[in-house]
Amino acid sequence: MRAVMLLLATQARRDRWVLSIWIGGIGLLGLAVGGAITTSFAIEAERASIVALFVTNPAFLFLRGLPDGLSIGAVAFLQGFSFTAVLAALMSTFLVVRHTRADEELGRAELLCSTPLRRNAELRATIILGFLANASLVVVVAAGYTVGGLPFGGSIVAALAVGSVGLFFVGVAAVVVQALPTGRGSNGVAAALVGVAYLVRGIGDALGTPNAQLTQVTPSWISWLSPIGWGQATRPYSEPMLTPLLLLLAGFAVLAGTALVVRSRRDLDSSLVSDRAGASTARFGGRSVLGLAWRLQRATLLGWCVGVVVLGAIAGGLGPVVAQALQDNPSLSALIGNLVPGVTADIVDTFTAALLGIGGVLAAAAGVQAVLRLRTEEAEGRAELVLATPVSRVRWVSATLIVSGASVLAVCTTLGLATGVAIAQSSADMTAIARFTSAALAHAPAAVVFVAVTALVFAVLPRLTIALGWGLLVIGLVIGQFGELLQLPQWLQDVSPFHHSSAVPVEDLDVVAVLILLGITGVVAVAAIVLVRRRDITA
Amino acid sequence: MSAELIIETSSLVKRFGRANALDGLDLHVTEGEVHGFLGPNGAGKSTTIRVLLGLMKSTAGTARVFGLDPWSQSVTINRDIAYVPGDVSLWPNLTGGEAIDLLTSLRGGADAQRRAQLIEEFEFDPRKKARTYSKGNRQKVALIAAFARQAQLYILDEPSSGLDPLMESVFRRQIERARHDGATVLLSSHILSEVEQLCDRVTIIRAGVAVESGTLADLRHLSRTSFRVSGVADTSALQSIDGVHDVYQVGDTVECEVDAGAIPAVLTELAAQGASAVTAAPASLESLFLRHYSTAQ
Repeated sequence: MRAVMLLLATQARRDRWVLSIWIGGIGLLGLAVGGAITTSFAIEAERASIVALFVTNPAFLFLRGLPDGLSIGAVAFLQGFSFTAVLAALMSTFLVVRHTRADEELGRAELLCSTPLRRNAELRATIILGFLANASLVVVVAAGYTVGGLPFGGSIVAALAVGSVGLFFVGVAAVVVQALPTGRGSNGVAAALVGVAYLVRGIGDALGTPNAQLTQVTPSWISWLSPIGWGQATRPYSEPMLTPLLLLLAGFAVLAGTALVVRSRRDLDSSLVSDRAGASTARFGGRSVLGLAWRLQRATLLGWCVGVVVLGAIAGGLGPVVAQALQDNPSLSALIGNLVPGVTADIVDTFTAALLGIGGVLAAAAGVQAVLRLRTEEAEGRAELVLATPVSRVRWVSATLIVSGASVLAVCTTLGLATGVAIAQSSADMTAIARFTSAALAHAPAAVVFVAVTALVFAVLPRLTIALGWGLLVIGLVIGQFGELLQLPQWLQDVSPFHHSSAVPVEDLDVVAVLILLGITGVVAVAAIVLVRRRDITA
Repeated sequence: MSAELIIETSSLVKRFGRANALDGLDLHVTEGEVHGFLGPNGAGKSTTIRVLLGLMKSTAGTARVFGLDPWSQSVTINRDIAYVPGDVSLWPNLTGGEAIDLLTSLRGGADAQRRAQLIEEFEFDPRKKARTYSKGNRQKVALIAAFARQAQLYILDEPSSGLDPLMESVFRRQIERARHDGATVLLSSHILSEVEQLCDRVTIIRAGVAVESGTLADLRHLSRTSFRVSGVADTSALQSIDGVHDVYQVGDTVECEVDAGAIPAVLTELAAQGASAVTAAPASLESLFLRHYSTAQ
């Protein structure tokens, strides 16, 4: 056990900055949301109107969660919980993969395993680190909510819910890394499972039933299939209940135990999914820098596309169902009539437009991830191999930028097609396919700005590429999702490219904004290509 | 000098933060020679190579490859260069064969027959994913890619450090072939014996400066043999032999450095004195550095 503690200390030291940023950032978000609701929605009538907006609009239920009364705490929980839980889950999965499969793949684990340690010592240390990180998160988030002005007792329960979801995903990731051979693959699958948990809860919540006063929504049974749904079921600011958290803790215990047993019985470097023999010669596409850039990204891009097909199918399939449910509820349709007179038919459009906005963020993430390849190629010494041949840096960077831009377009198009096909099926309106495909593509200009900016960071501050690439995207996402709620200054909201995307088909396409975004992308991308020629290739 | 200079650096400086990785390096490699680039770890060998390939910009001084500036004209220069890095990192999801084809295609395409022959000689399985390859196998990928297409200049950074002796001899044959074809080779290494076997001329670098440069005959004092002998009473007899250096005694044991030409005389003397134990070893590069250069500073 002393050895495990030593490993734990080493891992914690390696992570001291990363985890501080994650935990501090999530706590800050809690503080900001709590503070915003306390100050901007101090009057109950204001909170009633925002809750009414949720009850009448399944897109909000899907994206954010369930209204649970009109108290300040309940409204803050509604606005912030699912997003916070997703962040806690991602913090946990990245943490586990970083210290287990990624280390094993890079050969560091071999060095450790040659010392007199139990085979699963490293995994034990990592699981403990995951527990400690989520425990700290509970403290920080509870403090954030309380300082933000929310009731103390409820804030503790809410923070416990966030931390328990995080802990559950420590277990999930611990199992995933036993099954997959690479750190990158493990990160992808674990993050996808977080996405699934979010989507399943979204479906269940969107299909929920409102109470007579339209202040609460009870989720459908589907939400009970999602760990994030369990966290939400604690209802911290109305009728707090800790029992759902037992599900999360039990889940964590079972998953972590399974992973520990598997790890102690398997060989180093072995995995459930393993490599088969491949081609002994490269095909035509594998003989150029562009081919290489494509080859490196294609499996990941396929993953993103499968993800957005699911999202699109949900968006397109769920919209008509919830619209029907709203119309069947007389008190609800009356309320909708009051809020937005005469547009009940557009519930489907509003719902879909909101989900396509999320698609824009996913497209940006896919594009940014493709650009980040440049940095990994450089840091791991493969850029050196390529640039020692007569390939100019301009060609090398351009090839990756082309693949990144294509990834953005592919994700947007796939999402639009999937949504359109799903809607066309239920409404027999074939024009929906073209309409929603172009609606999804309206988010591509904002997404490619992130691609170009990440490339610029790579050209100027190579060592910060990965941190800033993802960091800027998260900041853009937070500003987009919470900017208006937090009443951030207009200029700050305007900085986020997502703020300038048009929510087609609800809004008209802002052609000027599109041209400006594309112009910025072009200028920044050219700057990146020019500047990358001026620096050393470093490790 | 009649032959053309393929690589020429003068007073080359590369600074990282406050440390100077290269501190005024002069390196001259002429056409058609196999040039050994020797130095202990961290001496600046890899940094020099990266400057020559246009991957890094020198802080001061000049570098010329084929008479061109590598920083501004790397694309033109690299057309005629084949490079093997010291620590080969490959794309984990590409097979070895695919990586070879990618690297040779970027240089203009491999000679298919030579590629097949190299794969056979190096006993390399090109169908496995690169993440499953050992260090030696990753090195084979870079070596096969380098030799599968004719180049004017081969830059090899400690290329045989992961190869077993059998594969090392395959590697040496390829160097001989490159020499035969009239190509120039810059071979960085910290293994003296390897350089002795392959190289026409040698530059020794230490702390970013070239401390010695010349043919192996010029550097003959570097290829001495270290003797360690027990049971010898009279060390003055040993000392008097021409070509015996640095004799010193620790208790019953005598150590000395012997030039190749003096070995028969030393062996005769040892036999005459009835030595009870003899160990002879080629001087390691590290010990040479310690002996020849640490005192010089």
